[in-house]
Amino acid sequence: MNRRGWRFLRGRHPRRRAARTVPVGSRSPLLFLFLAIPVAYLLALVAFPVAYNVLMSLQDVNLGNIADLLRPFAGLDNYRAVMADPEFRKVFLNSLMFVGSNVVAQVGIGLAVALFFSQRFPWSQGLRGLLLAAWMLPALVVGALWKWLFATEYGVVNFVLIGLRLVPAPIHWLSDPSLSLASVTIANIWFGTPFSMILLSAAVAGIPLEPYEAAALDGAGPLQRFRYITLPALRPALLAVACLVTIYTMRAFDLIFAMTGGGPLDSSNVLPLFSYQFTFQQFSFGIGAAIGSFAFVIVFGVALLYVSTLKREATE
Amino acid sequence: MLSRCLLAVAGLLCALARPAAADPKPVTLWHVFNLETDMIYGGIKGFNESQSDYRIDARLVPANQLNAELIKAIATGSVPDLVTLDNPVVASFSAQGTLTDLSDRVAKSAVVKPDVYFKGPWASGLWKGHIFAVPRDANTLALCYNADMFRTKGLDPAKPPQTWSELVSAAKTLTDPGKNVYGFGFSAMQAEEGVFQWLPFLYQAGGSIQHLDAPEARESLQLLVDFVKNGWASRDVINERQYEVTNTFMAGNSAMVLCGPWELPRLQKDAKFDWRLALLPVKDGKDIHASSLGGYDWVIPKGATDSDGAFKFIEFMSNPKILNEGWKTGRLAPRSDVVVENPLWPQAYAIYREQLQTARARGPHPQWPDLSRAMQIAEQEAITGARPIGDALADAAKKIQPILAKTPL
Amino acid sequence: MMPRRLLLRRNWVLSAAGVAGTAIYLFPIYWMFISGLKTPAEIFANPPTLIPLHPSLAAYDYVFMRENVLRYMRNSLSIALPVTLLTVAMGAMGGYALSRLRSRLVDLALLVILLLQVFPEALLATPMFIIFKLLGLLNTFAAVILATTSKTLAFALIVLRPMFRQVPIELEEASMVDGCNRFQTFRRIVLPIMQIPLIVVGALSFVQAYGEFVYPLTLLSRQELQPATVGIYSFVGAEYADWHRVMAFSSVFVLPVLVLFLLLQRRIVAGLTAGALK
Repeated sequence: MNRRGWRFLRGRHPRRRAARTVPVGSRSPLLFLFLAIPVAYLLALVAFPVAYNVLMSLQDVNLGNIADLLRPFAGLDNYRAVMADPEFRKVFLNSLMFVGSNVVAQVGIGLAVALFFSQRFPWSQGLRGLLLAAWMLPALVVGALWKWLFATEYGVVNFVLIGLRLVPAPIHWLSDPSLSLASVTIANIWFGTPFSMILLSAAVAGIPLEPYEAAALDGAGPLQRFRYITLPALRPALLAVACLVTIYTMRAFDLIFAMTGGGPLDSSNVLPLFSYQFTFQQFSFGIGAAIGSFAFVIVFGVALLYVSTLKREATE
Repeated sequence: MLSRCLLAVAGLLCALARPAAADPKPVTLWHVFNLETDMIYGGIKGFNESQSDYRIDARLVPANQLNAELIKAIATGSVPDLVTLDNPVVASFSAQGTLTDLSDRVAKSAVVKPDVYFKGPWASGLWKGHIFAVPRDANTLALCYNADMFRTKGLDPAKPPQTWSELVSAAKTLTDPGKNVYGFGFSAMQAEEGVFQWLPFLYQAGGSIQHLDAPEARESLQLLVDFVKNGWASRDVINERQYEVTNTFMAGNSAMVLCGPWELPRLQKDAKFDWRLALLPVKDGKDIHASSLGGYDWVIPKGATDSDGAFKFIEFMSNPKILNEGWKTGRLAPRSDVVVENPLWPQAYAIYREQLQTARARGPHPQWPDLSRAMQIAEQEAITGARPIGDALADAAKKIQPILAKTPL
Repeated sequence: MMPRRLLLRRNWVLSAAGVAGTAIYLFPIYWMFISGLKTPAEIFANPPTLIPLHPSLAAYDYVFMRENVLRYMRNSLSIALPVTLLTVAMGAMGGYALSRLRSRLVDLALLVILLLQVFPEALLATPMFIIFKLLGLLNTFAAVILATTSKTLAFALIVLRPMFRQVPIELEEASMVDGCNRFQTFRRIVLPIMQIPLIVVGALSFVQAYGEFVYPLTLLSRQELQPATVGIYSFVGAEYADWHRVMAFSSVFVLPVLVLFLLLQRRIVAGLTAGALK
C-alpha cells in the first residue's frame, strides 16, 4: 500500500532487517575532525555570549557600569530577587505549561499530518509544502494576525463560533487572564507545527518498506503496523524533533510579545519575555540575565533527558 | 604611447590639485519616525544641504526596539551621535551618566533657549540641574468623538462632555450593542500606554503618583473600571494599544476615544464620518484641567564621536520654521513661540495646543519604568476584577513608596 | 492490492481531505493577503469582513514603489543563502560524525550543542556585537551570516544525527573494503543517500535565516544592508502601524520562499519516484 521509501540509487543491496549501525573503526580521525569543526564553531561563537549572560546574572549591573565586564559582584542576589518577585512563580509555571503543550501538540499533530501526507494521493506533496507558509512568516506578522483573529469584538474566531452557534457570547481570548495563555499557545502551535511536520515527513520517507510488507503478509492491521513498525522506526527522529521544539519554544517570545505583551497581568508571560522586559524595559540587567538562566536549568534537564534516550538507541 | 602617459599624468595632477575640501563629518542619528512626511526627513535634507561640515547618517530603528538598541550600544561602547528618546525614559539614561551634558551648549545657543520651551517637555531633559536632552516635539491626549453618532443618539455634537458625569452619561447613551458600538474607548494595556491614558484622570481627581492609596486615586481608577464593568467600554481595552482603540473608533465601533495628535493623519484618511476633538472632561467639582505629556527628546549619548555636529543638528531642528512642519504628522512643537499659521485640522490644533498647557510630564525619574509598572499592574488588576481596587492600589503604593523615598519625583 | 478503481476513489477522498484541512489551516495566511487589500479601518471592523469591501492594491503599490522591497529581499537572500550552505556543510559533517562515534563523546557533544542554545537571541545579541566589533566585522553580512549559522547549525546537527544513523553501516564497510578511504565513502556513498534529508534541512535552515530578525537589527546599523525582517518595521511607527502595508509586505516576503519550497517538493518527489521505478 505505501509505496514510498528510499530506493538507494544506482542499484544497491536490498536492505535486510534493521541496519546495524554499531560503528566499526570509530576511532577514525576523520570522524573526530568532522565533529570538531561544527562544535568548535559553536563554541567559538556562542560560548562567550552564554558566559557573558551568566556572569551578568551574578553581578550588580546598571547602565553606568554595563560597558565594563567586571562589575560589582552580587552573588546570588539577583536570583533571590527574581524568586521573590510575585510574578515570577506565575511566569515560570506559564513557561512550563506553554512549552509542554507546544511540544506535545506540535510533535503529535506534526506526526499525524506527516503520516497523512506520506500517502501518495494527488497534490499531497504540494499541499504539504504549502503548509510550511505558516512557519515562514515573521513573528511580528503572526502575532498581529492572531491578535486580530482572537479579538473579542472584531475577531474572526468569535465571528465563526457565534455564527455556528457553538458559543453563546464572545469569548475574551486575549483579555481574560485565564484564557490568554491558551490563546498564545494555540497561535504558537499553529506557527511551529509545519516545522515538525516537514522534519517528520523526511523521517517517515526513510522508513524501509520490507517490514510493512512482512507485516501485511502476517495479517497485521494498520494500528498494529503503526505501533510496532512506524513508531519504533521514528523514535530517534521524534525525540530529536521534540528536543528541538522544546528548546525553540523555551526561548521564543516574539510571538507572545506581539500578541499580548505578556498580559493581561502576566497571565501569558513566559520566562524569555519576562527576562527581556526586565533587561530592556526596566533596566534591571542582572535580574534579566538571572531569569534567562532559569531557562538554562530547564533546558539542561531536557538536554540530559534527550541524551539519556540515546543510550537505548545504541543498544538496539 | 607617450601622449597617453602624458594624459594620465595630467589627469593625476588635476586630481591632486583639487582643493583639499574636508569631507563632511558623518553624524549618526537613530530615530523612530517612519512616516516620510515627518519633519525629520526634510530637516536632514535641509541640514545636509545647508552646510558642508557635517552630514547626517540616519538610521530608522523600530520604535519598540529603540531602548534596547541604545542599551546595547552603551553596553558595547558603540553609541550613535544623536538619538530620539521617548521623554519618560530620558531620566533613566541621564541619571546613570550615559548622556552628554548639554548645559554649556544650551547656554551658548541662540536657538535653544530654555524659557521658550513649555515647562513639561523641558523638565523631561533635566537631571540634578543639568540639561541632558532637548525636546523635539510634544503631544498630549484629547477626547475624540464621532459627531454623527452624537446626532443619531440625540446628543448635541457642539456640546461634547465636559465633566466626568457628562462623559459617563454620553457613553451610556452612545453604547449600542445591536450595532456593535461601545460608548467609550481607552487603552489599559499592561504597558506605558495604559498608564499614559490613566494619568489624566488621576491628576484631574486631584490625585498623584505619590499617593496611590488615597481616595482621589481610587476615584480615578473607579471611573475606568466602571466603563468596562457596565459595558460602555470593551473588555479588550486591557489588551489594546492606544492606536488599536482608535482603530475601533475609525471602524465605527467606539463613539468616543482618547487620542493623541499623532492619529490625525490617519483619522483624516480613514475616518469617513464627522469626527471632532474636545478638551478632556474634568471631574465634577474639582475642575482641574490636566493631561499627560508625551513626546520625543533629542539626546546625545556619552562617548559620541561627534557631539558638536549632533548639537548643530538639534539647533537646526529646533528652529521654529522646521518645528512648524512637525504639525503635518501631528507633532506639536514643544515651544511657546511656535504657532502654526493655517494649520491642518485647525479645530484639533487649537484643542491640543490648549490641552498642552495643562499636560504634566511623567517624571523625570530614573526609575520611571518601575513606577509605571506598579501602576500598570494595579490598573489591570482593577479592570479585570482580579483584585478590589483598594487592594490593587495599596499594593502599587507599597511598591512605589520606597522608590520615591530614595529619589522623590 | 486494492483494485485500481477503489484506489482512485480513495486517493481523491484523501485529496479532498487534504485540501480542506490545508485550507482551514492556512486561513490566517488568507487573512494576511486580504488585509493587504483592505483599508486600515476595515481591518478592525466589527463584524469582520471575510472578503474585502473595496479591495485596492494601494498598499502593494506603496510597498513596491516607495519602500525598497526588492533591496530588502535581496539583502535577506544574501544572508540566507550563505547561512544555508554553511549549515548544510558543517551539519552534514557533524551529523555523520555524531552518528558514527562512540556514545560518550556524542553525549557530551550533544549536551554542549543544546546548552549553547538556551538563551534567547535578544540576550545573546549584545555579547555577539562585542565579538564582531573585536573582529571588525560590524555592518557586514559576514557577521550576520556567522551569527545566524550558530543557530541553524545546532538544529541541523540534532536533526541529521538520527537520519545519518539510518544509513546502514554495511554499505560503508563494503565501500571501504573495496578500497575507498572514509572521506571518499562519505562523499560517494553516504551523502547521495542522504540527499533528501540534507535538502530538507537546508530548506528549513534557509527559512530560519530568511526570517532572522535580532542579529541583523543589532549587527547592521546601515539601512541599505537591512534585510526584509527589519525592513518590515518601516511600516511600524512609534505610535501605530500601517497594518495593510505590513501585510502587503509580508505577503511579498513569503512568496519567494514558498515558491522555492514548492519547487523543492517536486525534486524530492522526483528523487523518490526515480528510485521506485527501479
